[in-house]
Amino acid sequence: MKKFVSNNKFLMISIILLIVLSVIDINYTYRSIENTRQQIVSMLIIVPPIFVLIGLFDAWVPRQTMIVMMGKESGIKGMAIAFVLGAFSAGPTIAAFPLAMVMLKKGARYANVIFFIMVWSSLKLPIVFYQFSQLGFQFAMVINLTMLLVFITAALFAEKLYTTEQLDAFEEKAAQHS
Amino acid sequence: MSIEGYIIYGIAGSLLLVSFAKDKDKTLAGLKKGMTSFVKLMPVLLPLFLFVGILLAVVTPAFISSLLGEESGMIGLIFGLSIGSITFMPPFVAFPLGKELLESGAAYPQVAGFLVTVMSVGIVYYAAERRYFSRKSAIFRNLVSFIGALLVIAVVMVVYS
Repeated sequence: MKKFVSNNKFLMISIILLIVLSVIDINYTYRSIENTRQQIVSMLIIVPPIFVLIGLFDAWVPRQTMIVMMGKESGIKGMAIAFVLGAFSAGPTIAAFPLAMVMLKKGARYANVIFFIMVWSSLKLPIVFYQFSQLGFQFAMVINLTMLLVFITAALFAEKLYTTEQLDAFEEKAAQHS
Repeated sequence: MSIEGYIIYGIAGSLLLVSFAKDKDKTLAGLKKGMTSFVKLMPVLLPLFLFVGILLAVVTPAFISSLLGEESGMIGLIFGLSIGSITFMPPFVAFPLGKELLESGAAYPQVAGFLVTVMSVGIVYYAAERRYFSRKSAIFRNLVSFIGALLVIAVVMVVYS
């Protein structure tokens, strides 16, 4: 029981919040459930092809290729590939994590994988074009260029935070996750 | 469905056909793996969706507008950053909201801080990232994006002053 609660913190907090909201105003509860339903539906629409691609990626890209393209010795090429993969993507950031696991498992470098996640979260092209249309070119570019510089800097320093063992542990953990 | 939705279905569909033509067994193994990672993601994702659904019922666009509105100043910045960091919104909700905020007189820095954090910082991401990578890695990436948001605010202040 205790383990279930600690493993499902969000579920527990959500249920408590729902009960509290129902007491305050039942309309909040209805709206919460409607919001949740909408999110699940929109995810189920966009996410299946992403997982097909993740599966194909896993099946067809050999470990050796991944090590050459994005591994420890890949240098600036590895970062460039991480950028392209992140930018030419679509779908919620949460779908980037399983793909990141496949990369790590096959020997991609942590710095490159975390850079890929950062680019996917903020700089993927569909989002950037949408930003232009909504916020105007200048405002969107100020935001995106600043974030790109921050992400590059962060990726360059990322591995300094970890010991070699910790970096190896990412690959082992990734193997369990995919 | 949006244009990128069609594109990604198209790409996935054609690659799947090519893959099938080349090697049926390998394709099936790949599909099975994709399916497994999808199924593994669900128990992490569904409670988070419920949590965010509740948050968005309370933190409505109208509510956010009232906090980031005209001359909201420092308080507006702090609210923008914290709402953006806690909640998660699909881009097609977040950016029109940003546009609306600007049109109704909110300042650029407040809106920029909100938009950057809503895209890349979040408890939703943190909870999933912690499981896939590690706690340290999850904190690192979210912190980097948060610092990025602060820098964006500074740059926007200079550009739009």
